[in-house]
Amino acid sequence: MFNDTMDTFKRYDYTFFGGMFAIFAIGVTNLYSATHADRAGLQELYMYQAVWFCIALSVGFALSFISSKTFFRYSYIIFIGNVFLLVLVLLLGKIGMGAQRWLAIGPFRLQPSELMKISTVLALSRWFARSGPDRELTIKELLVPLLIVMVPAVLVIVQPDLGTGMLLILILAVMVFYRKLSWKSIWIIVVIAIMCGGVMYKYGLKEYQRKRIITFIDPHADAKGSGYNAIQSEIAIGSGRLLGKGYMKSSQGALAFLPENHTDFVFSIFNEEHGFIGALFLISLYLILFFRYIWLATSVQHFFESVATIGFMAIIFWHTFINMCMVTGLMPVVGIPLPMMSYGGSSMLTFGIVTGIATSFSNSKNLF
Amino acid sequence: MFGEDDIIKSHRQRATQIGYIVLACFGLVVFRLWYLQIYKGETLHEYSVQNRLRKELVRAPRGMIYSRDGKLLVDNLPRFDAVLTRQYLKNPETTLPFLAQILGMSMEDLQAILDKNKFEARYRPFVIKKDLTAKEIAMIETESSSLPGVSIDAFISREYKDKEMGAHLLGYISEITQEQLPKYRERDGVNYRLGDFIGQFGVEQQLDKTLRGVSGHEYVEVDALGRSRKYINVDNLFKGIEDEPSVPGNSIRLTIDHDLQVAGYEALVKEKKIGGFVALDVETGEVLAMVSNPAFDPSQFSRGLTSEYWSSLVNNKDKPLRDRVIQDHYSPGSTFKPFTAIAALEEGIINGNTQIRCHGIFKLGKKIFHSWKRYGDETVTVVDALMQSCNIFFYKVASEMDIDVLAKYTKMFGLGSRSGLGLPREVTGLVPTREWKLKRNGIEWQAGETLSCAIGQSYILASTLQLAIAYAAIANEGKVFKPKIIKEVIGTDGEVIEKFTPEVVREIQLKPTTWQLVKKGLYKVMNNPKGTGWYRRGLGLEMAGKTGTAQVASSSADRIYEKCENKPYELRHHGVFVGFAPFDNPKIAVASMVEHGCHGSSAAAPIVEAVISKYMEKYMPEIKKENEKKQLAQYRFYRQQEEIEKQKTEEEEAGGAE
Repeated sequence: MFNDTMDTFKRYDYTFFGGMFAIFAIGVTNLYSATHADRAGLQELYMYQAVWFCIALSVGFALSFISSKTFFRYSYIIFIGNVFLLVLVLLLGKIGMGAQRWLAIGPFRLQPSELMKISTVLALSRWFARSGPDRELTIKELLVPLLIVMVPAVLVIVQPDLGTGMLLILILAVMVFYRKLSWKSIWIIVVIAIMCGGVMYKYGLKEYQRKRIITFIDPHADAKGSGYNAIQSEIAIGSGRLLGKGYMKSSQGALAFLPENHTDFVFSIFNEEHGFIGALFLISLYLILFFRYIWLATSVQHFFESVATIGFMAIIFWHTFINMCMVTGLMPVVGIPLPMMSYGGSSMLTFGIVTGIATSFSNSKNLF
Repeated sequence: MFGEDDIIKSHRQRATQIGYIVLACFGLVVFRLWYLQIYKGETLHEYSVQNRLRKELVRAPRGMIYSRDGKLLVDNLPRFDAVLTRQYLKNPETTLPFLAQILGMSMEDLQAILDKNKFEARYRPFVIKKDLTAKEIAMIETESSSLPGVSIDAFISREYKDKEMGAHLLGYISEITQEQLPKYRERDGVNYRLGDFIGQFGVEQQLDKTLRGVSGHEYVEVDALGRSRKYINVDNLFKGIEDEPSVPGNSIRLTIDHDLQVAGYEALVKEKKIGGFVALDVETGEVLAMVSNPAFDPSQFSRGLTSEYWSSLVNNKDKPLRDRVIQDHYSPGSTFKPFTAIAALEEGIINGNTQIRCHGIFKLGKKIFHSWKRYGDETVTVVDALMQSCNIFFYKVASEMDIDVLAKYTKMFGLGSRSGLGLPREVTGLVPTREWKLKRNGIEWQAGETLSCAIGQSYILASTLQLAIAYAAIANEGKVFKPKIIKEVIGTDGEVIEKFTPEVVREIQLKPTTWQLVKKGLYKVMNNPKGTGWYRRGLGLEMAGKTGTAQVASSSADRIYEKCENKPYELRHHGVFVGFAPFDNPKIAVASMVEHGCHGSSAAAPIVEAVISKYMEKYMPEIKKENEKKQLAQYRFYRQQEEIEKQKTEEEEAGGAE
């Protein structure tokens, strides 16, 4: 019995939690710097962030002891349950005070759209694992995965949370690519996607969403100041130069020239204080984590685990990439947080769960 | 569970490709960071240290207010404030005492202002002293290098040319209060901020939306000392940023005639009278003049009220903040009698020939009703009853009339309900009915009360404006207007955006004889030596009108005939007067009320006389001259009559002696 427990911890893969913790540690000190000069109310944010990290870590750690078989078995049920929660949010929003993204459970506000990313990855993985994974994927076979993604995506977009909706589709793209969709099919889809994008832009977007995109393409068209945010962010990043201004020495952020400096724009503050070198270090940490996930995907024993791991990697990757593009002015500001760095309980919990499940996969591979 | 190794192995290539894509993506991010931090790093660093871009609110200039004759009544004047930005305050120990010295304020006061703004963001400037003198501005400008963080803000303040005159009508603007903020945001759908000025009284409040305009914003570069200047393009960095200009407010032209306003105001303040007057165009219902005294200086509000001035207004027992024309109602006194006469004539209680003896007292049951003068014992018709303001006549008439009948006719003339002028805080006045009294007091209506109401005492209350509207309706024989104060709204480039046309609320249908009799009575009030207004007939005005004296407190019997001027001030009657002119073709109606003025004829009538006289001079000088001739002839005639009567009585007396 004792030996069993010892064995469990001997073959326990700490690398995922380790990577998560490393980035969180940088994130929380950065958060402290970003908010210490703020007016009362925001100064304690780093404490809350630490509490959220502990919660996320506990949930993730607990999940790491659940076998991959269980995840496989319940993946559809989890997916359907989560979709149900999304519908609930919409209905409550209709009855209550307008648009909401969260459900209040006691003192917590749960955002079902955050968990939806994980549920969708699990459901897709089960489908891919069961539909002849030894063959190349044909366009026809995309129908069901597309359905699995579009149901929650549409529900999230009407919340309205365009960012998360697009993220679900991007995650699917990575998983489909991994599931060996032929290059020919990929090109066909790319062409169709560009065309659909045009139509969506014309008819499917809300005024402020369209404005964000216009602002990005032509900052002159902006009168309300989102261009202002982007430029302030660029000044903050650029002013960090090679080595940065030093910890707690950010001026753009601390003087509140930068809005949302504790959520979407934490990377700007980090860059201002730690410079190009600091940014390279942080990006390396993320890259190490991503390659660890890719390595895991190729070394597990079941295809379900493999596809799911790629999906998880996609979740963290897209968040990181989009956020960095956004604050450096490569992309319009769409409100996607930087994993483990931005303040936010729901997103921290999401990454905790992802890390927990990935650890579980990694541990089960060492069973034999 | 084995056997999937092969499948996973076959996907290894794709996994590697994903790895490359991830690397390429972050390669892009790193390249961008290199561009910002290394390639453009120096420029951006320079920028973040030396200069900062600040988004500043640009408030829209407020619209002007003109009189109907094109005189500018409310203007905007620049004002300069000293402001401090804490972020740039490098050495407070030296800067603050120096600043206090320049501005002539104590260190305690300065510290108090700093403490008050303690929780403001450090980069946000706040006001240290408002309305700087030219000397203070020059001092701050020249000493700017030793005053880091201190700068001067230009600001537009509102200037009311006529100061106290017409202050209630024009109103004032002042900073939106913390309590108003959420309420007004909701009401107007405008994102007001603290520091925004909004109309709080009078026309400024009524037309706030029209006058205010829409504020915009501009981006300014702020240098290391916190002083702003318009941004210069640094490396096209701010190419994407554009100012949003403010939209100036529209101007308005009032229906007020400035000359009439001055004429009435001078008559009102000459003897420091407390009260007000309002003049209406009989044919359109436009307000030609409207003043209440005592008043306040509205300019003080837009400059930021000093606490001394505010407390002097609030603690003044004469209540200068009240608009006595529309915010206060009084017993109309004898000015109400025409409406009793109209009701009686229309209901057939009397006709033009009905004669009633006008002697000292009238008994109803055990209660005794007095006439306003002890003497007098002659038989009068309704016309002469109005002329002499005979209480007994109207008591007699009222004893045969139900209060609800009287109320019906009174309400037709707009008494007892808001006029719809649109200015805030207007009172309704009161026209009592049986139902009203039962509801309010739980007691049945007493017949005696009808008698008091018939001469405008008891429960009946009317504002000065309501009296003017009702008399205008008598003058034009039936048209009750919704009074207008705004003639037109004028856009920033001078074109008329909106015009306001007359609005008739009600057309009263009465027998033609009723109009004739009542108007004749009102004419004789002014133009017959026996009339109560004879001495205020003016020169060539052909005015008709009615005096009124409103009892403030019901007097005990022994005090009834005591001379009003001998009473303590608070017990003196209010003087009321309403008139219209010229009689043949009435153009203007004026009502005036003087608190504790004792008599309508001596206190209130001179104000009306002054306004009407000015009106005739300005708009119909020929008619006025003609009237003057007519008046002279009439006067001679009366003198002759007097002589003849005198001779007659002398002869009779002589005869009797024989």
